[in-house]
Amino acid sequence: MPLALRPADIPRIRTVLAVYRVSAMLTGVFLLLLCVMMVLRYGFGVDIELGGPFGFLALTQVGHLTAINLSVVLLAVHGWLYVLYLALDFLLWRLVRFDFVRFLWIALGGVIPFFSFFLEFRVPPFINAAIARVEEKQEASA
Amino acid sequence: MAAPGFWEVARRPRWIGALLLCLAIAAAFAALGQWQLERSVAGNVVPDESSESVVPLDGFAEPGAAVTEPQIGQRVSLDGSYVAADFTVLGHRMDRGREGWWLVGHLVTTANGRDADLAVALGWAPTEAAARAAIPAAPAGEVAIEGRFLPTEAPTDSDFEAGERSALAVSELVNEWSGPALPVFDGYVIAAAAPAGLEAIDAPPPSREFTVNLLNVFYAIEWAIFAGAALYLWWRLVKDVVEAEGEEDPDAASETADDAHGSSGARK
Repeated sequence: MPLALRPADIPRIRTVLAVYRVSAMLTGVFLLLLCVMMVLRYGFGVDIELGGPFGFLALTQVGHLTAINLSVVLLAVHGWLYVLYLALDFLLWRLVRFDFVRFLWIALGGVIPFFSFFLEFRVPPFINAAIARVEEKQEASA
Repeated sequence: MAAPGFWEVARRPRWIGALLLCLAIAAAFAALGQWQLERSVAGNVVPDESSESVVPLDGFAEPGAAVTEPQIGQRVSLDGSYVAADFTVLGHRMDRGREGWWLVGHLVTTANGRDADLAVALGWAPTEAAARAAIPAAPAGEVAIEGRFLPTEAPTDSDFEAGERSALAVSELVNEWSGPALPVFDGYVIAAAAPAGLEAIDAPPPSREFTVNLLNVFYAIEWAIFAGAALYLWWRLVKDVVEAEGEEDPDAASETADDAHGSSGARK
């Protein structure tokens, strides 16, 4: 049975929620770019080359890149953004004290394309409702 | 009824099962970390000394074929004769920290039973005049050479504007060589011994460095953290149940809640 959040945590929850929304958008965008990159690499055998001999942005056969490999950059950036996203998911889980299944569900947002955009507008109302419940209760008892 | 303690909750079948699951996940993550560690050193050639034992160039490298990584720096032996008209000198050659000139010769050797062209760097001199002066001293007729085999340099390494040639580019040299066009080696040999008037060129053994792929090392560290996180999550989930059951029981609520605050760090 999930516990209600602690009233003292409410300001912190609002802050974490705001950061979470930005993180969800960023992670979602980079996940889509990652999908494009994967299709190019494993479907067509090319990587995205930045500033190479074939133009500012070019598709070059895997293993033949001489300039910046944007495909690898995308992989790494998405990886780190997802770590941040997971950390924010974890903070929300601890602060709002929702159940573990929801934590796992939100974690999937960084690996299923478009899912983080869906979560980005579904998670805040749910958390705001949890905050409202606690605030009402506090006012009633005050 | 008093609120259950941590280990009372942890011993419930449900949470023992969860612990086993978390241990299995942690073990899988640890195995993935191990795999990444192996990958971080994969692709390293075992440092070997095979480049230091002399092998005949004929059969070791093919004329017309690009020089491969394992061939670079190999000590080789060969026979052949210099074409007297084709000696050249190259400037800006560094040797043990000093800048000077190389004497380069055109050697006709044998490969696969046929004649083949090979560029040979005979020796180093501090000045162009000294390098040119050594040309008459270069051996004539059939000679046996021992030296180190290196891939050709790019012609673009030379300073064209100054009209100076400094790169040992086989593709550039062959255009000036006399005699019939023969198959040509895509590399050159630095002779171990220099003719009179020149110093032997310093040609150290190739460095085959042991490299570590840092990206894979970071991934291995990440997997170790994930394995720790799997176990931490089990502990946190059990703790949540203990807290929840404590807060449902008004008598024990304050005690368990205080405990929870203390263990979760900065939270108040």
